[in-house]
Amino acid sequence: MSEATRLRTLIVDDEVPARALLREYLGAHADVLVVAECGNGFEAVKAAGEHAPDLVFLDVQMPKLDGFEVLELLEPRPAVVFCTAYDEFALRAFEVNAVDYLLKPFGRERLAGALARVRERRTSSAPVAPPSATALALAAREPGRFTERLLVRDGANVHVVTLDQLDYLEAQDDYVAIHSGGKSWLKHATLAELAEGLDPARFVRVHRSYVVPVERIARLELYAKDSRVAVLHDGRELPVSRAGYARLRELM
Amino acid sequence: MHPFFRRRLWFALYLFAWLVAGVPAALLLRGVVPQPERFALAFAAPLALFYGFAVLSAWWVCRTHPLSRDAATRTARVQLGAAVQCAAVWSAAGALWGVTLTHLLPEVIARPSLVANALALLAAGVPLYLLSALIHYLVLASEASRESERRLLESEVGAREAELRALRAQLNPHFLFNSLNSINALVGSDPEGARRMCEGLGDFLRRTLALGARDDVALGEELELVERYLAIEQVRFGDRLRVRQTCPADLLPLRVPPLLLQPLVENAIKHGIASLIDGGTVAIDARRAGDGLVLTVENPVDADAPSRSGANLGLENVRRRLHAFAARGARMQAESDGERFLVTLTLPAAAGGSGEGAA
Repeated sequence: MSEATRLRTLIVDDEVPARALLREYLGAHADVLVVAECGNGFEAVKAAGEHAPDLVFLDVQMPKLDGFEVLELLEPRPAVVFCTAYDEFALRAFEVNAVDYLLKPFGRERLAGALARVRERRTSSAPVAPPSATALALAAREPGRFTERLLVRDGANVHVVTLDQLDYLEAQDDYVAIHSGGKSWLKHATLAELAEGLDPARFVRVHRSYVVPVERIARLELYAKDSRVAVLHDGRELPVSRAGYARLRELM
Repeated sequence: MHPFFRRRLWFALYLFAWLVAGVPAALLLRGVVPQPERFALAFAAPLALFYGFAVLSAWWVCRTHPLSRDAATRTARVQLGAAVQCAAVWSAAGALWGVTLTHLLPEVIARPSLVANALALLAAGVPLYLLSALIHYLVLASEASRESERRLLESEVGAREAELRALRAQLNPHFLFNSLNSINALVGSDPEGARRMCEGLGDFLRRTLALGARDDVALGEELELVERYLAIEQVRFGDRLRVRQTCPADLLPLRVPPLLLQPLVENAIKHGIASLIDGGTVAIDARRAGDGLVLTVENPVDADAPSRSGANLGLENVRRRLHAFAARGARMQAESDGERFLVTLTLPAAAGGSGEGAA
């Protein structure tokens, strides 16, 4: 079998025995090529950038970045099979179009079944649409909780911006600029998608292109008739639309 | 609130009884202070009703001055004072009512001495009040005993429940699933290791069930359980999990409540070691403090992780279990500086029975 047609596969699990088991099981499938094994989410993002895998076996509970957060950062998006001892993530896995969900401990047949589904999806004439960024972002946090941090991929590196340190978000074409502590990062998403997961009591969309934490706003100034600017504590000025002003007044 | 006010029917019957008692009271009054029968009845019946109300005030006095040997004279003085005051109010009300009656019943010619009537009320009022106080004390005592019975029952039920919950938490299914997955992995690469792990897992489960069924265990037994547990987790976490344990040998026979330490260690791994890329050291320490024992479990945590308050079932279980021993002074304290997490268990010698019988 040529290298080109084999399933380039990444194994991501923070436990050595769990990775060893997958590698052993996968050894029986000639069309699977394990390109890397990763012990945490950062390594996984890096390895995915280097190896462009077709398939990722992904544990959910891992240090720093959990499986859903890793998935959000993978681009282009490979087929995903989650492997975990917890059944409570199954619904979220379904929402991000995971190919399968393996509950530990699982046997060879169960894994073979998952691989069959992966192959089927690859050759199917109507490929399953990749999940939207919104679905991914929603799945990346626990149900009923607001986003507590934003993840940005910068080549092989991952930046974690905790929302306590966020200055403001700014829409820039297909990206959102995340400004924090004098630096900024670009994330491929729309402002509406990012704003959806934020706590509406803490973050306000003051303008079509800007989302600001309420506590960062020092004062509002009238700029022209019906036009205001928000002055942040660091002196920066952001435009405030009429709708944004209405939202602000509700909060302040 | 007086218990009578909560039971209307009883209260009505009680007042009716006082009203009826007004009749013999009137006859009695006529024997002491000469007066026409009609006047005596009209005088005594409403005043009896009035006093029926008034003596209920003993309830509050009895509650604030419970019977006890130390404060006997003080309580007696307070009650006597209250009795005199209550009777004085009654007597004053009687005098007023007497004057009113002489106007209401002008046809009664032979008028009694109103002062004598008032004095008679004063004389009868004091013992009546004291009788009321006595009855109230009896009611309070019976309520207290019922309350303490209920509490005893509740704490017994609570302790049983906590025990069951602890056992269930101990047999945390995810721990089992992950362990089985590790065994599954070892079967291929290290069959001998897989056998050892099966044995270790079986041993750990058997010990958990055995210790959980007892009221107290030697600290040494609890530490052995922790060691068995750590040996299993070591397979999963490899060199990410490091352990430091210090326990002076003379503390090993001390009695402690079972299944407190292992859940804390499990918690340290789940919320500490597992969240760190390079893992860390779980430190388990035992030291003497006075007659008692202080156990600490400390682990590093991910400083960047969002804090998850309230999500910690393991700690909550230990806290609940400890609650059953709280009366004996056992307590748990959890603290974190963002980088390390420290749980301190303080167990007075009495908390698990002070017997150092096992050598």
